[in-house]
Amino acid sequence: MPTSSKSLAPQRLPATYRTEVVLLVVVLLEWLYFNSVGPRFASLENSYDILRHSAEIGLIALVMTPIILTGGIDLSLGSLLGLCAILFGKLWRDAGLPLPLAGVATLAIGALAGAFNATLITRLRLPPLIVTLGTYSLFRGLAEAITHGVDTFTNFPASFLALGQGRWLGLPAQAPAFLAVIVGIWILVHATAHGRAIRAIGFSAEGARFAGIPVSRYTTLVYSLAGIVTALAAILYTARLGQAKADAGTGYELFAITAVVLGGTSIFGGVGTVHGTLLGVAAIAILNNGLVHARLPREAAGVLTGALLLLALSGAMVPKMVERLRAHRRTRTASPPTPGSPAPP
Amino acid sequence: MKKLILYLLALSVFVSGCSRSSDTAAADGTRRPVIALMPKSKGNAYFISVRNGAERAAQALGIDLIFDGPTDPDPAKQNEIIENWITLGVDVIAVACENPEGISTALRRARDRGIKVITYDADSAPDARDFFVNQATPQGIGYALMDEAARLVGPDGEFAIITASLTAQNMIEWQRYIEERRSTMYPNLRMVALRPCDDLKDKAQSEATALMAAFPNLELIMNICSPAVPGAAEAIKQAGKVGQVKNIGLGLPNENKLYVHEGVTDTVILWKTEDLGYLTIEAAAALANGSLAPGATTFTGSLGTFQIQGDNILLGEPFKFTRENIDQFDF
Amino acid sequence: MKRYFRELSVTAALLLVLGGLAVAAPSFFQAQPLLSLATREAPTLLVACGIALVIIGRQIDISVGSQFGLCGVCAGMLAASGWHPVLVLPAGVAIGALLGAFNGLLVAGLGLPSIVVTLGTMVTWREGLRWIRQGQFVDLPRDLQWFGLPQAAGQAILIATALAIFALLALAMRGLAGGRHVYAVGADAEAARLAGLRPSWVTFKTFVILGALTGLAAMMNMVQSPQVDPKSGTGLELKAIAAVVVGGVAITGGRGNLAGVFSGLLLLACISPALIHLRIEAYWEKAIQGGIILLAVIADGFRRHGKG
Repeated sequence: MPTSSKSLAPQRLPATYRTEVVLLVVVLLEWLYFNSVGPRFASLENSYDILRHSAEIGLIALVMTPIILTGGIDLSLGSLLGLCAILFGKLWRDAGLPLPLAGVATLAIGALAGAFNATLITRLRLPPLIVTLGTYSLFRGLAEAITHGVDTFTNFPASFLALGQGRWLGLPAQAPAFLAVIVGIWILVHATAHGRAIRAIGFSAEGARFAGIPVSRYTTLVYSLAGIVTALAAILYTARLGQAKADAGTGYELFAITAVVLGGTSIFGGVGTVHGTLLGVAAIAILNNGLVHARLPREAAGVLTGALLLLALSGAMVPKMVERLRAHRRTRTASPPTPGSPAPP
Repeated sequence: MKKLILYLLALSVFVSGCSRSSDTAAADGTRRPVIALMPKSKGNAYFISVRNGAERAAQALGIDLIFDGPTDPDPAKQNEIIENWITLGVDVIAVACENPEGISTALRRARDRGIKVITYDADSAPDARDFFVNQATPQGIGYALMDEAARLVGPDGEFAIITASLTAQNMIEWQRYIEERRSTMYPNLRMVALRPCDDLKDKAQSEATALMAAFPNLELIMNICSPAVPGAAEAIKQAGKVGQVKNIGLGLPNENKLYVHEGVTDTVILWKTEDLGYLTIEAAAALANGSLAPGATTFTGSLGTFQIQGDNILLGEPFKFTRENIDQFDF
Repeated sequence: MKRYFRELSVTAALLLVLGGLAVAAPSFFQAQPLLSLATREAPTLLVACGIALVIIGRQIDISVGSQFGLCGVCAGMLAASGWHPVLVLPAGVAIGALLGAFNGLLVAGLGLPSIVVTLGTMVTWREGLRWIRQGQFVDLPRDLQWFGLPQAAGQAILIATALAIFALLALAMRGLAGGRHVYAVGADAEAARLAGLRPSWVTFKTFVILGALTGLAAMMNMVQSPQVDPKSGTGLELKAIAAVVVGGVAITGGRGNLAGVFSGLLLLACISPALIHLRIEAYWEKAIQGGIILLAVIADGFRRHGKG
């Protein structure tokens, strides 16, 4: 990962705070616009749709946040979702495990896969981008090789499908799991010393090491956590669609990274918030959903998400640019040309 | 700062609360029926021509047509858009399913809400829709491809298949029937390789080149995704094996005219895609106003009368585009 | 010898694969198909070289696949509307350079992280393309294929062009000041600045060069067939980055050379046809490619570990 502007990160703190507010305004504007063009957009029903559809990507974005906070990245999570989904199906259908046990085993597999990424990163001190680019192909390839691309797992019992399609106390059944992960990650990042350690690693892994922070252990923690939650997302995905197939979760990692960065987390690590990520997920999810209500074509979602990302990033840089300009002017007015030094041309 | 955020949240809740009261007013009263048509994926020339037919039908019948779908063939995205349409309150949903199980849950929910569901191009689970506009059964397609291959290369020889991806459900289905036909009718024709081209013409060209090198006795390439047909044709042409290696596949006439006239591609098999779109919308409209109901055995529209087998509305046999007739079509 | 250990080991792996193929599947070595393979991979070589430059300068560009598609379609539409090939080809390269400059402006000018910027442009260009073309092929005029020459001559020109540009770039990276500047900025931008370079200007230039090379690659791909697929270039970024990484360029910048990239690309390009010749089913292809990338990466890790 490029790390050249890491030294600038502390100065950006106020700016990222502003990014979240800007994003909140964007989310509200989206909401107001779609509400004005689509009569059913603001219905409770539709809000539940949005929640259900963004749960899996939301989960991945949530666990991507601590990873990016450490200055890392994980491109393999979408592929891992596919691998976990078919392994879950395989454990249940072919190995004959009862569903809860298959679920627990899947979570363990997710954790192992995450730990595998972490081991390569910490033991061999490899850039996460490259390690996970490799496992991105590897996990998806394994999923395809195991199922020969063809095998699809279906006919899950209704009690399991309810996890993804049913209601729980009136809320979509995904809500409790999603909420639990939100709260868990938020506490981890914002309310514990661990969160501070994770951010310290993002600012400077070397510095954190000298300060006595066990960098490898934290790296293993965040990647394994990502693996577990991705496995959870795989189970929810399977329950929502009623099937598990090797192509599950294709492209989710890019969506998740987009949401995290949109939410103001610096891709260089050290700076960012969990609620920012949630806003990022909301901005994308509402856009995707609202376009249907506004009867705009789906391609617009891609173009607008890309443009939004670039705008949000550039927008966040504006205060810094202004500051730099001001500093430039100040040094010029403060030091008139003195004899001996060459006059500016 | 926190106060500002809370204020904004409160505002949004207030606004969404206000608007809910307004949506019931729009729902009743007379309005044009809304039919939502979903392709497997956007940005696919095949579905563009389906859409053209559908739009003509919508215009003729005074129907509000929504055409949307995922940008890449993705069952989860299809599922989501269906659920959005349910909330949007459309009258009929017509969908080409990327794979049956993933979308059927959403379609069943649509039917529970009184929305009519029709599938076209690729079916869902039978209990998740009212009718399936069947342009050609997987069996019909698989058999037609295999028969055409046997007609071109004779009773024995080697052929290879280029597919879009190893996970596309309909292609897996076609392969099954191709294999079934092969093993029962042409046991001495051998399928030597199956290669994915990611639905890209350029990759299909590379794959075909490698196939011809690895299997010097290869006599035919069968392409079961549309970009692969011109891709493989270009590879055969560049390898100087025109005539020696035959090329057939499922594809659109416009993309293949060039190669068919040059004699590189022998036969392109497809149905009249605009008719598929037109018939789907006409059937959907009939379903909405009650003139088409379960149990019907024929369906008569402006394109003529179509047989209904069970709950499958049959468009007819797959059509073979050859040098003689390909110029009559423009899609 | 020791300095080029990494590059040599990739080349050794390549030779090993080729040697294995010579024993297990001698049919792999036929002039015509290999020539075809080389022609098909020539555009990828240019993109991989461009990406190598950007990565050596400690940035990354994942939007090249979308740029490639956009250049091909725009140039194709110009050609279809009657532009002369002599104008179309430079126009395609210029569009590529412009797209590269856009990325460069955001990365070098505003100081935004390149992976995020190019993630944004990747999605925007690709979906925009889908919006405009709806997946329909662009039909090219007949005289554009192989520049209106016989096929063999056209293939020779393409391969020669790719090799010539590769050689020039490789030499420039070794010998010219401009090339050394990229290494300097990639190794330590602050040190480079103190040494009197302008790191952001160097970064900007690498993105423009990558864009131009991508445009050229799209043109070289376009002249190989009579139609342009608007989806062309999908996944190209991963292919090119994988070649660069397998070829021993450090993703952290400042280290690696184009000769290694060349071997890395050949190694990866051989895998897919080799599997066909070895009669291995396609299901394993992605897993094998991922495995090779990981192996290369692990080798890098051990190497750095050894140095401490």
